[in-house]
Amino acid sequence: MNNIEVKNVSKKYDGFLLDKISFDVPAGAIVGLIGENGAGKTTTIKAILNIIKADGTVKIFNKDVKQNEKEIKQNLGVVLDDSFLSTYLTPKYINSVMKEFYNDWNEDKYYELLKQFGLPKDKLIKDFSSGMQMKLKIATAISHSPKLLILDEPTSGLDPVVRSEILDIFRKYIEEDETRSILLSSHITTDLEHISDYIVFIDKGKIILNVPTWELLEDYGVVKCSQEEFSKIKKEDYVSYKKEKYQYEVLTSDKNKIKKKYNISSIDKPSIEDIMLFYIRGER
Amino acid sequence: MIKGLLKKDLYNLASYKTTLIIVVLFCSIAIIGTDAIYWGSVIIGIIVGMISLSTFSYDEISKSNKYILTLPVTRKEIVLEKYVLAIGATILGGLLGFIVTLLVGNIMNYFRPDNLIDINIETLLATSVGGMFGISLIQSIQIPSIFKWGAEKGRIQMFIVLFVLVIIGAGAGFLLKQSGLSVDMKKLESILNNFGLVALILLSGLMYFISYKISYKIYKNKEE
Repeated sequence: MNNIEVKNVSKKYDGFLLDKISFDVPAGAIVGLIGENGAGKTTTIKAILNIIKADGTVKIFNKDVKQNEKEIKQNLGVVLDDSFLSTYLTPKYINSVMKEFYNDWNEDKYYELLKQFGLPKDKLIKDFSSGMQMKLKIATAISHSPKLLILDEPTSGLDPVVRSEILDIFRKYIEEDETRSILLSSHITTDLEHISDYIVFIDKGKIILNVPTWELLEDYGVVKCSQEEFSKIKKEDYVSYKKEKYQYEVLTSDKNKIKKKYNISSIDKPSIEDIMLFYIRGER
Repeated sequence: MIKGLLKKDLYNLASYKTTLIIVVLFCSIAIIGTDAIYWGSVIIGIIVGMISLSTFSYDEISKSNKYILTLPVTRKEIVLEKYVLAIGATILGGLLGFIVTLLVGNIMNYFRPDNLIDINIETLLATSVGGMFGISLIQSIQIPSIFKWGAEKGRIQMFIVLFVLVIIGAGAGFLLKQSGLSVDMKKLESILNNFGLVALILLSGLMYFISYKISYKIYKNKEE
């Protein structure tokens, strides 16, 4: 069962093309959408939410998002990096407004979350720090207990302590009900290593990787070797390589295979960020 | 859902409370000082009507348009809400202007029996409705401009549209005069006296309706 199904979604802007993107967000999973700034993460999220008109189909809860928008959005919590209801309101006013939108808005839960996050009820949002604003956006997004959370860069610009707090909130949200899902875009990939079940990697409007996170962390490896050793490795055995000052760094998607085949003794474990950089900057 | 959007806009406008009180006070003083008391009602009406449009600026500053589209609300409802607010503000402004003028005039007459202000209810009503018509015309032009070009740019475009309308109106008048068609002014006056107010209200309704249709067409395909 998938909570989101994206099929062949395309969107063209001047100088940018989101090119036939397809991926799923299964129930019970956290999917991390990663990529450089401008790679197409936000465009993908906007297309999923029907904020922009894109080609292709998007199904949420097995229903076409263009035809069942209002019904679907009742069960959706959204956090956008740069946009909220109004910065001239207080959290108390946000409660008063949001209960008009969501049938299942839970006022007690909202105020409980505000308390938990240490957010004042009567202060104008524009006077909040960016961490406080993000916590408020998240509290607002989960107070109607939606089945699906879509979060665009929820941890950008926040310090490590707040980021870790926020990741805990997401973890708890998923644990509460296993039919829930989160689609989370971020360019801070270390956050996703800890929390996501799948990684979808977008580069220049195309998906170049869509794999379970454990696979990235377990199977991928970086071989550091001399030019001579590198010349022996066949092209089909590595993803890409980088030529450093004194050595070659080679990324493989099957470290056990390359270890055996070329009798390599030590292979480094790359972070998701390393893998991302190999894909973007590495050579083939 | 419209109720939620209305609440958001009204809370945003809450900061205008002081401005509104000052305007009403200022106009009240103006009413006391002058014989042209009817202007008070028009000014109050126009200011209240225009304040409603500043919700677009609040949305733009908070970049809330994108977020609102993620809520369970249709684009039709988003457009409709702005018109409900604008029409509500126009009616409120008209009523407020009418009541304040009537109240201040009568209070002054009570305290200053030697210098009576002559308030003609019919004229006051006509002035208030006239003011409301004026503001509904401005809103009907401005709301689609804002949906198309945004709150800041939309303001400039509105003046251009208004200017073009004045030119067209003046041109039509000039052509009418040149063509030698005579207009029976007396007949026109009597029609205006008898049906003027109703006609103005109906015309306002029609303008809002056309304006709403245009705005929806623009916003339906707009990407945030």
